[in-house]
Amino acid sequence: MKYYLKLGIILFVTCAIATGILAYLNGLTAPMIKEVKDKEAKEAQLEVTKVDENDSTPYTFEARFLDLDIKGDSVFYFVAFNEDKEKVGFVMTATKYGYSSNVKTVVGLNNEFKIKKIKVIDQAETPGLGAKCVNADFAPRFANLGVNELKVDKDGGTIQSITGATITTRTISNSIKESLQLLMEKEAN
Amino acid sequence: MELLSQIMIMAVGAIFINNFVLAKFLGICPYLGVSKKLDSALGMGMAVIFVMTMASAITWLIQTYLLVPFKIEYLQTIAFILTIASLVQFVEMVIQKNAPALYKSLGVFLPLITTNCAVLGVAILNLTADNGLPYNFGFSILNGFFSGVGFTVVLVLMAGIREKLEYAELPASMKGMPIALIIAGSMALAFLGFAGLKF
Amino acid sequence: MSAMKEFTKGFIKENPVFILVLGMCPTLAVTSSVQDALGMGLSATFVLLCSNIIVSLIKGIVPTKIRIPMFIVVIATFVTIVDMAMAAFMPPLHKSLGLFIPLIVVNCIILGRAEAFASKNNVFMSMIDALGMGLGFTFALVVLGTIRELLGAGKILGFPILPQAYQDNPMLVAILAPGAFITLGFILAVINLLNKRGK
Repeated sequence: MKYYLKLGIILFVTCAIATGILAYLNGLTAPMIKEVKDKEAKEAQLEVTKVDENDSTPYTFEARFLDLDIKGDSVFYFVAFNEDKEKVGFVMTATKYGYSSNVKTVVGLNNEFKIKKIKVIDQAETPGLGAKCVNADFAPRFANLGVNELKVDKDGGTIQSITGATITTRTISNSIKESLQLLMEKEAN
Repeated sequence: MELLSQIMIMAVGAIFINNFVLAKFLGICPYLGVSKKLDSALGMGMAVIFVMTMASAITWLIQTYLLVPFKIEYLQTIAFILTIASLVQFVEMVIQKNAPALYKSLGVFLPLITTNCAVLGVAILNLTADNGLPYNFGFSILNGFFSGVGFTVVLVLMAGIREKLEYAELPASMKGMPIALIIAGSMALAFLGFAGLKF
Repeated sequence: MSAMKEFTKGFIKENPVFILVLGMCPTLAVTSSVQDALGMGLSATFVLLCSNIIVSLIKGIVPTKIRIPMFIVVIATFVTIVDMAMAAFMPPLHKSLGLFIPLIVVNCIILGRAEAFASKNNVFMSMIDALGMGLGFTFALVVLGTIRELLGAGKILGFPILPQAYQDNPMLVAILAPGAFITLGFILAVINLLNKRGK
């Protein structure tokens, strides 16, 4: 009995040491990881709001509640203002399960709820097929579309699907459509 | 009805479309190592289904009621691997005591499962909510179960092929692991065809 | 002299992937590009090096009965450190390796070296062994990654190698799941052939 108690204590002490080390390192890295994530989100927000690449307007964003996600966390959308405090549009994030991963897209909208620009920021779709949704030639396919025009060519719409990856394209289109409908409801109130 | 169709989607997805072995590359070691004989493949498959289901349940509880409330999510890897290791040990002891017949057929495979990355993989994947399904306890367990079934299906298929392969005439350098990998590749190619099954 | 031997054995004679066929899951999963392969290989080498050092240091005080759980805790700690560091300093790589970082814990090479080598040898030798094995693993991943990226995308490390016409219409299957199995199968066959010639 005493022997097993000793084994238990040794194992416990090992775990305690490991936890201590990790807690210390987590304290160091957690703020950095958060900073990286925030910076990424900010950059994506700005990128889809800008009129063109040389646009250097200091846009500001105001968060408003959109929905709860699958884990019950709040999802926000943002209203974008230019330097004169004029509303120039919205930014939202649309997430949906594609072929083999959650595909997360940041969408910039103008005041008429038409898409200005999209950017896929998170995906782990099939390399060479669905993963092409991060390529430069993909995002422009969504430009200037409204909520009712979000349909891929296979379903009778105008959005050209990625060859061999209709599912990914359709997922992105549908996820934007769903989030956009929600956003328009919230804005109508 | 809604629930049933969600479960169906999950089952088809886990077994065919995003098969753990052939699409996600989890659990390759046992897939190549224990697929020489049909009996042992079946035994290993059953043991994996059992452990994956149990592990999904327990790790979900640990994450939700222990790691998240105390804000120690960074201990996830350590906590899960220790849980799985002790779970496997515990299951082994219980089976040995209460069901000697079952122990005879599954016993040898149980210790191998600790280092089967499919088990840790399903536990972590359940908690990222990255499978497009409701994020709750029940679905985590079901996902563990169906992923285990998917693993078993391809393991048993592979064993069936490899038993026949014994009689095939092959160049000496292709024998054993090389041909097993190429067969696995052909199976993965065939499973790619299930992509069209997406609802 | 023998230190040199311990170092080089991981590359050719006992290469963990090509000869021992261990650590298959990351080998197949993250080799769709050279960059991911390199990232995974070096992360695993780091974990292997650290865990071998610690295991070799504590080998005298660890009771044999609980040595495996102890080793697992040590390995899991370093894996979590790699996970955190990569998320903080190399977010894109962290994203593309994803699940396979925590899964380094169950990579049989690492536990295998701790058990078979570090728990029996001194610190210096364990370090040499870890570096040899780790770099051998990295080497194997990079070879596989190079072939797959070249065939499947016409690039290496993102630099275009093959003509544009090929890049527009590459042999896609090489970077899809089946390509991983088949490429490795043929590599193993070639190694078998060379070994036989050598004898």
